[in-house]
Amino acid sequence: MTAPPRAVLPAEDAGTGPLPLDAPEAFGAVFDACFAEIHRYVAQRLGPDHAEDVVAETFLTAFRKRDSYDPSRASVRAWLYGIATNLIGRHRRLEVRTLRALGRYGPDPDAPGHDERVAARVSAQSLRPELAAAVAGLDRRDRDVLLLVALAGLSHEEIAAVLGIPYGTVGSRLSRARRKLRAALGGGNPMLDPEEAGRG
Amino acid sequence: MDELTSLRELYGEPEADPLLEARVRSRVQAGVRGRAPAGARGRPAAWFRRDPGSGLRGRPRAGLLRRTEPDLRRLRWPWAPIVAGLAAAAAVAAAVVVPGTTAGEPGGSGRIAALSGRSILLAAASTAASEPAPTGAYWRVRKLHRQTHPEPLGRGGNRYRLVESRVTEQWAARDGRVWSGSRALGARPASKADEDAWRRDGSPAEWSSGGRTLSTAAEEGRLTATAGGTAFSMAGRAMTFEQVQGLPTETAALKEWVSRTVREEQAAGTPAAGPPGSFDGVVADALSGLLWSKPSPPAVRAAAYRALAELPDVRYLGEATDERGRRGAAFSFALRTAPVVRRTLVIDPADSQVLSSTVTGPPGSGGDRVELVLEAGWTDDEPVAPELP
Repeated sequence: MTAPPRAVLPAEDAGTGPLPLDAPEAFGAVFDACFAEIHRYVAQRLGPDHAEDVVAETFLTAFRKRDSYDPSRASVRAWLYGIATNLIGRHRRLEVRTLRALGRYGPDPDAPGHDERVAARVSAQSLRPELAAAVAGLDRRDRDVLLLVALAGLSHEEIAAVLGIPYGTVGSRLSRARRKLRAALGGGNPMLDPEEAGRG
Repeated sequence: MDELTSLRELYGEPEADPLLEARVRSRVQAGVRGRAPAGARGRPAAWFRRDPGSGLRGRPRAGLLRRTEPDLRRLRWPWAPIVAGLAAAAAVAAAVVVPGTTAGEPGGSGRIAALSGRSILLAAASTAASEPAPTGAYWRVRKLHRQTHPEPLGRGGNRYRLVESRVTEQWAARDGRVWSGSRALGARPASKADEDAWRRDGSPAEWSSGGRTLSTAAEEGRLTATAGGTAFSMAGRAMTFEQVQGLPTETAALKEWVSRTVREEQAAGTPAAGPPGSFDGVVADALSGLLWSKPSPPAVRAAAYRALAELPDVRYLGEATDERGRRGAAFSFALRTAPVVRRTLVIDPADSQVLSSTVTGPPGSGGDRVELVLEAGWTDDEPVAPELP
């Protein structure tokens, strides 16, 4: 499985500086560029039934807070992931329920692209409930960092910026989370804690 | 296998269908448009302005309108609230910021304020009178309400206050049918200290208090047709759309009509009419209700403004900014005197619209009740359950 696709934001590409988040029309371009991946992230964490409201809230929150967006610190998409993560934090019980269902049944088999991934998935299939339980058992702050790396593909630097935590804290939360997952999968020595190759 | 890869497989690849995307897009669009009411009226909303040169890279400016936007470095968005303006913590929750009312010599400034306040109300009356006859199939007012829940929540010594917010809409058709819409937006801790106490309480998402359930989640919007068409009320007296259309358009006659209604309702003991000692304030309130909570014809609105300009107890507080950053003129009057309860209205004299209302007091009520007018006037949109702001 590959890293999630990154949305291309025209203004960032062209090097013309930050997106003009000011105008409602320009904000539409941000929505079009980022909706798919933000929806994917929220649906992964809260399930498809509840993603719609949280995703809408994410973009509205972003629009309202656009004055506090600082392009020198994070890309627009990273910033949106940060907002979505904070909104997801309000639905902790729902997230745990979603994880329990994922552990038991796996992701929705009707989702497109299912077939190609079945083969790759088989190896971990038997440990799915353990893995889901381990994710559910993480401290929420550790889980946020872990999933922003694994599902959103953000760099440590971006995560630090959008969650408002020190750079070093990102690494320590990620290490702790990964250690617990490895223990749950039984495949690694939980005493070993290899340093993350600096991603950002 | 790497645990991150296993994790991605666990989560799978949910995809949004195009219908879902279109639905969310239109929700976001509606929210974005609803958020720029001042701009829509031909004036740049304050939060559209930027310091030239600093562009988006600039730190949020210091000042009234930037008070809720902390430095990104420290920003954790602990409660990214659904509603613009609600981020203001209790410490800055004063709805109306009134600059320039403390300056001036004692004695002299009050008279000047009274004169300029009167002229502002009369100017608004002229604007209201010159409005064209309304077009559109429905009259509609959409408001955002915010109020501190009267009961503290929590356990033992760990107590905190919640702020509830709600969108309401009222619709009226020309044939007299009326609808009321409502949607709770979810309760939030009132301040940072309340939020900390809420976390110590285990971060509950639901409470039972005062005989009802409070939740952090927004509810679904509801729209109900009002039986009998009496959706409006003045000093506790129910009014139909037709009765509002038939109100006197001459200042003295309107004032007399309203005064008589208040007197009769007070005599009947109607709670909304207030105690007998609060007659003047309730008349002011009933007149101002014609400006922003009822489908009053332009001539009735103009008469209501002129009548308010003549009331001695309507105080002009000066220029003000409402929670959405819209500029206007603030007026206040006492709804009752012992203990004192005041309503402050921010009006925009340029188009005679009421922008916001803040009711303060009595002591112990927990906090101000704020209403922001998001949309008001005639439209061809069909009545629907309120969307999120």
